[in-house]
Amino acid sequence: MSPELLYLVVGATIWAVGLGGLLLVHHMLRRVIAVNLMGSGVFLVLVALAARSSPPDPVLQALVVTGLVVAISATAFAVRLASARAQHSSGTPEVERPGGDES
Amino acid sequence: MNYALASLAIPFTVALLTLLLQRRSEANPIVPAITVLATAVSLVFAGLALETQAVSGAVSHLNVGGWDSPLAIRLRLTPLKALLLGFVALIHLLTGLYAWRAKPKIARDYWPLSALLHTSLAALILSADIFNLYVTLELLSLSAVALVCLSGPKAYTPALYYLLLSLGASLCYLMGVAVIYGQYGVLDMTVLAGIMEADHSTRFALLLMTAGLMLKGALWPLHLWLPEAHTYAPTPVSALLSGLVVKGPLFILWQLWNNLAPEALAREMGPLFAAGGVVALVSGGWSAFRAPFIKTLVAYSTVAQLGYALMGLGLLLFLQERIYAVALWLFVLAHGLAKVSMFLAAGEMQTLLGSKRVTAMRGATQTIPITMSAFAIAGISLIGMPPTGGFLAKWSLLEPLFTQANHWPWASGVLLGTFVSAAYVFRAIALGFYQAPMSREPRHFDRVSQWLALLPALLVGLMAFAGQDLIAWMAGVTQT
Amino acid sequence: MNWTNALPVVAVFSSLLPGLLIFALREQQQGLRTGLNLLGVTVKLIVVGVMLWGVSQGLDFRVEAPFLPGGALILHGDALSLQFVSLSAVLWMATTIYAIGYLRGTPLQSRFFGYFSICVSATVGVALAGNLITFLLFYELLTLATYPLVVHRGTREALDAGRSYLAYTVAGGTLLLMGIAVLHALSGSPQFVPGGYLASVPARHGPALTVAFALLITGLGVKAALIPLHGWLPKAMVAPTPVSALLHAVAVVKAGAFGIVRVIYDVYGAETLEQLDLTAPLIAVAAFTVIFASLRALQQRHLKRRLAYSTVSQLSYIVLGAALLGPIAAVGGLVHLIHQGIMKITLFFCAGAFEKTLGVHRISEMDGIGRRMPLTMSAFTVGALGMTGIPPTAGFISKWFLAAGGLEVGQPWVVWLFVVSGLLNAAYFLPLVYRGWFSIPTAEWPEDHQPESGWETRRMLLLPTLFTALLTLLMGLLAGSALGPLGWSQLIVAREFPL
Repeated sequence: MSPELLYLVVGATIWAVGLGGLLLVHHMLRRVIAVNLMGSGVFLVLVALAARSSPPDPVLQALVVTGLVVAISATAFAVRLASARAQHSSGTPEVERPGGDES
Repeated sequence: MNYALASLAIPFTVALLTLLLQRRSEANPIVPAITVLATAVSLVFAGLALETQAVSGAVSHLNVGGWDSPLAIRLRLTPLKALLLGFVALIHLLTGLYAWRAKPKIARDYWPLSALLHTSLAALILSADIFNLYVTLELLSLSAVALVCLSGPKAYTPALYYLLLSLGASLCYLMGVAVIYGQYGVLDMTVLAGIMEADHSTRFALLLMTAGLMLKGALWPLHLWLPEAHTYAPTPVSALLSGLVVKGPLFILWQLWNNLAPEALAREMGPLFAAGGVVALVSGGWSAFRAPFIKTLVAYSTVAQLGYALMGLGLLLFLQERIYAVALWLFVLAHGLAKVSMFLAAGEMQTLLGSKRVTAMRGATQTIPITMSAFAIAGISLIGMPPTGGFLAKWSLLEPLFTQANHWPWASGVLLGTFVSAAYVFRAIALGFYQAPMSREPRHFDRVSQWLALLPALLVGLMAFAGQDLIAWMAGVTQT
Repeated sequence: MNWTNALPVVAVFSSLLPGLLIFALREQQQGLRTGLNLLGVTVKLIVVGVMLWGVSQGLDFRVEAPFLPGGALILHGDALSLQFVSLSAVLWMATTIYAIGYLRGTPLQSRFFGYFSICVSATVGVALAGNLITFLLFYELLTLATYPLVVHRGTREALDAGRSYLAYTVAGGTLLLMGIAVLHALSGSPQFVPGGYLASVPARHGPALTVAFALLITGLGVKAALIPLHGWLPKAMVAPTPVSALLHAVAVVKAGAFGIVRVIYDVYGAETLEQLDLTAPLIAVAAFTVIFASLRALQQRHLKRRLAYSTVSQLSYIVLGAALLGPIAAVGGLVHLIHQGIMKITLFFCAGAFEKTLGVHRISEMDGIGRRMPLTMSAFTVGALGMTGIPPTAGFISKWFLAAGGLEVGQPWVVWLFVVSGLLNAAYFLPLVYRGWFSIPTAEWPEDHQPESGWETRRMLLLPTLFTALLTLLMGLLAGSALGPLGWSQLIVAREFPL
């Protein structure tokens, strides 16, 4: 198995794990993390695809950089929204404690 | 192309400008004026773009910043795209006017955010490659979610669900993009259109992208997030979300399957889309019929009506006849206008009647006749009775089905859709005809905002009188 | 556009515009509202008069605007449309006056008269429609504009009636749309042609034509109240009496019956229908409706409901006349379109006058009502005798032609059908006449509103009633003259049905 293929498989797996987490987990913070996992998976796939040629494909690297920017801002927004929601529902500024899955 | 670019750049500038203008002060009164005015200018530019494009029938390209093909941000303008640009600007203008006038005052952040939403929709429409579409999709979702949040803490939960599902959906889409690029090494849609093959990895990529887009577009069965989000958003935002935002992903889906996908795959997928559309019509309609709140009713009706669009798409792919593309985009236009009117009317009712419940509409024909007319006319368009735009769209979907005997069964989907829509629309209208409880006078009575709610309904209500020209023109517009 | 093109448009807009203006009026602006109504009525009567004259002279009133691909918006005043247009224009005049009297002092009159005028415009549009697409447009408008009138009182009972009205008519409208779409896919929607434009469709499309015919007749049959599609009509009697009178006895149900006549003669044509053998089921349903609805009418204890079932029965005379595909039967059906309208509206006007003046709703309360309200009861008697078909009233003429038409096409059972139906009519109408004149009032009237003028009821209720009763008599007595509805029906048959 070539390293690129390995990275491809790993990336796809991470993406799938993230997707599963998003659909199956109820805790909001964990879902935010799940979405981030999905993102990382896709980026890994993209980078692995870029590494197939040498020099590595610049287009894909540009895509990953753009994607990262999007992912960071989206995550920031999601975390802020989750904490605002938690603050509103519990009266404390903390995000719900991990483990205490809300239904 | 320059006109289209102007139509995109104006809301973007306004978004930045309004952010700066209201940094400190509480609510700057000129912000709404600027935004509405700019939207009007953007509409004019979109109209100019449409005129030049539709007259020449041409397709233009632009590489932003002068970069070359793979790295550049490529924009592409076709007549249909110009039409949609104009439609987006028009809906923004109508809701903007209402939001300006609305009482209680809408949160001041509405203005920069709606301008941002306008920008991202315009960018989505103009984008020529599948990765830029991902970026615009994300922008669209982020601004839409932020707009939902404007109605305060009660909207946080649905907004967060909307955001997370939307992000997940974007990443499904992005995975599909990665697979396609891995196979073909191209992102540009015009290039891809010629070289895609009907093999397994292409099919897989298309399915991933489709799943993501269907989730974002609230197409059945991935619509579950929509009713909550649309119900809890402030009224003008609900109108924007239902009228426009769900149509963005639908437009990408259309490009994906109509332009990119090999015909064999498209034919395979067509019946699935069409069947999904029929189920959406029935299940969404049923939920609307059972809905306890006015806005929930309207939101579920969006789920149902998107079923018509999905049916149009499915039949287009399956039967490969242009007329279904006309039907699909007529549905989008008619539904957009009708839904704006309906949500604005629903919002007016909530304020005037002091209750969110459908049952509060008792006697509304007597207490708030103009608002009730807006709701009723828009509803009649959703049912598809002549001479509304909904009728025109339904007719262009229905009539060609009867040209061949083996397509007749699909007509029963339209039949069911009509019955179900009639049920939920008339359920609400009938309540309006109860004798009004005379004691409850409306709290305040702003005629202008009621007429603003009625305006889109009147537009869509008389749309079919231009039917022949409109269908012929749309047939030309949807060619490319 | 010259004046012959403009007239059909004016005929539609002469009630549509006043209707829209009336919506904007405040409740108190009674004078202005009445003025607008009467202005519309006058303009429409003049236009219809000119068009009647024009068509008898061979002029063609036609206007066309683009609407859908292959299906323009056509308004065309031919002899058949004018039959229906003049009926609705004349009765609109009578009912407007009646309604002003009937609704005096009740709330929401602007809403009522607004929708009322739109209904009349839709009816005139249905009549003048030159092709199926235009017909559909006005037919659906009629459904929508009638609903607010059915539920006008805003009570639970009215809303229930409204729900059932909508369920039937929206479903019917959708089936009609399907049928029209099937035909449109085959041949577009050209203008109605005497003898039917589908004659040129190749024979291999026979199954499609059959399905479309079934869809169209079912869709139209809902409004024409063919059994078992009649359920909405008796319930809709909860509406104010002018609505029952004009709409449920005349405009709405006639729109259905008129549509069936159009489909039979000007879309399919007798020849195509005979080839495909499509009329037999329709004849059977119509004949069954004639008898069964009469039996149902006998069971009703409520005056307006008895009249409603009588309407169901009588409408099928028209359908039967058209479906027999013979010229004499066609004359009978067409003339009954007019006669039934005039007679039935007389009866409804009387029922409304009884209700408003004495609070009488039920048949058992009618004992001796003729002594208290002799003029109204006289009008009722004329209408009832007409319905029974006793000479010299208008109803006799219709039945005579229908029965003769049955013999002409070799269906002698039709004669017996009308004999039985006549007996049933007598059985449910004559006892009312007897009660009214000869029974002795057993108790006080439920209410008693003697108007100060000294007349037996409000003048605006009485005069339209006497007017239509007089028409019923005149149409019977002067049936031979060329100007009456009978002469006009013969003109239609001669001109339009190349049988």
